[in-house]
Amino acid sequence: MGGGFRVLHLVRPFLSFLPEVQSADRKIPFREKVLYTVISLFIFLVCSQLPLYGIHSTTGADPFYWMRVILASNRGTVMELGITPIVTSGLVMQLLAGSKIIEVDNNVREDRALLNGAQKLLGILIAIGEAVAYVLSGMYGSVSQLGVGNAVLIIIQLWFAGIIVICLDELLQKGYGLGSGISLFIATNMCENIIWKAFSPTTINSGRGAEFEGAVIALFHLLITRTDKVRALREAFYRQNLPNVANLLATVLIFLIVIYLQGFRVVLPVRSKNARGQQGSYPIKLFYTSNMPIILQSALVSNVYFISQLLYRKYSGNFLVNLLGKWKESEYSGQSVPVGGLAYYITAPSSLADMVAHPFHAIFYIVFMLSACALFSKTWIEVSGSSARDVAKQLKEQQMVMPGHRESNLYKELNRYIPTAAAFGGVCIGLLTVLADLMGAIGSGTGILLAVTIIYQYFETFEKEKASEMGFFGL
Amino acid sequence: MARGSSSSQSASSSSSTRPGTAAPRGSAAATAGMRRRRLGGSSSASGSSGAAVGSGNASNMLRFYTDDSPGLKISPTVVLVMSLCFIGFVTALHVFGKFYRYRSGSGP
Repeated sequence: MGGGFRVLHLVRPFLSFLPEVQSADRKIPFREKVLYTVISLFIFLVCSQLPLYGIHSTTGADPFYWMRVILASNRGTVMELGITPIVTSGLVMQLLAGSKIIEVDNNVREDRALLNGAQKLLGILIAIGEAVAYVLSGMYGSVSQLGVGNAVLIIIQLWFAGIIVICLDELLQKGYGLGSGISLFIATNMCENIIWKAFSPTTINSGRGAEFEGAVIALFHLLITRTDKVRALREAFYRQNLPNVANLLATVLIFLIVIYLQGFRVVLPVRSKNARGQQGSYPIKLFYTSNMPIILQSALVSNVYFISQLLYRKYSGNFLVNLLGKWKESEYSGQSVPVGGLAYYITAPSSLADMVAHPFHAIFYIVFMLSACALFSKTWIEVSGSSARDVAKQLKEQQMVMPGHRESNLYKELNRYIPTAAAFGGVCIGLLTVLADLMGAIGSGTGILLAVTIIYQYFETFEKEKASEMGFFGL
Repeated sequence: MARGSSSSQSASSSSSTRPGTAAPRGSAAATAGMRRRRLGGSSSASGSSGAAVGSGNASNMLRFYTDDSPGLKISPTVVLVMSLCFIGFVTALHVFGKFYRYRSGSGP
């Protein structure tokens, strides 16, 4: 400590300007927590439907299409940025701190405060930066079309929305709400998507007469109106380019598999050293790192897509650029889809038939997915402070020992399980994502996996809150 | 006694293997009682470490702001009201925008 220049100290002058939600000075009752969570969710949902003021158009290819699911953002609305600022700044700071580029001593109070301040400051700066980039790149129409006043207004709206998301997230995390804002928003966005795809009452005319968009509604509609019931059923199950019942069933199946696998764990018995008879257990889950591998993996992939798309639009003839990815507009949605290069090979094959037709693509995709997830999972335990060494230290601080093992063996014993669990859990998550993509689950494989793991976490939190509440008042 | 307490203090802060050897020293009951009290104090002070054992650690992976830091203190109600005001502001912009466009469209 001390001596030399520390990057973290650059943040200090800004610290007093950063908005900061007060910590709860009392224990917030469960009912109130639910209330805060619901209100935050309501604000988020309204924001993700409210169109931005002053935008000219949102047509044309959307370079962030692939990121939308994990970033809980909606095109053309106030929540255009979604949780991008928080997630990006969080990942950057964690990686910087984990790789020791900035030194943080987690035992020093001031350091933690500075790190948090730095994260928030970075988040706010990223929000401004992205807002300016969006407007200047002409996503809402060129600046001359918009007028300078409107351009500034759009930037302010986006920026303020970013700050609000940061504040809401902090509010939920500081003990006023349940879980974290980030996961709440991702899960909500995803569930909204699924429900909409299942029950949407909008009709779309794609040449065969009006069809309902929602899979379930379309099923009933087809069954009632068609005379040939078998063909109607087949149509409802396998129609292309609109959500069908098979997709819905695949989604449910993935949901169940993930929930089932969540229960897989190795339970290490631990015993308190000074209070006799106080037994405990330390569970090591199969999904030790939960959904972090896919968050990181999809962040990586969407960045590759983004860069590749930008480059391809500018210099499509270049050999290296083509190696990175070739893009073509899809005829259905007007969305750019990768058709060649690296970007193509890290994209999921669209169906089983596609997989058989291009076996190399399929194999490359699966290998990439699994290894990326395993690698990210293993890195993440080091970065986030849940590696065997950290857990051993934590247990030691709580004076817990494993019966039948010496204290010095604790680390070794944990090290037998934790890295394996992390890597294997990462592979499982990757495999499930591939499976979900192949079965055509609604949303994308990544989205489903994120949503399910988050919902499961919420379920656990709920149970725990309820249990503690009962212990308090129930007797 | 004083020596016992100081050794336990140093053991907890440096997290060496001392507490294992220090435990049988001194009168057992007094030491255990003291320890337990100190344990409770430390776990309530550190907060997050106490909950970590039972719950596993998946839930705190995305927790970035758990600590207090000096800054512009705002209460949770203010955050919610601020967000609602923002929503109102954007809606008002839309309304006025429509109004203005209508007026300027019909005027000339």
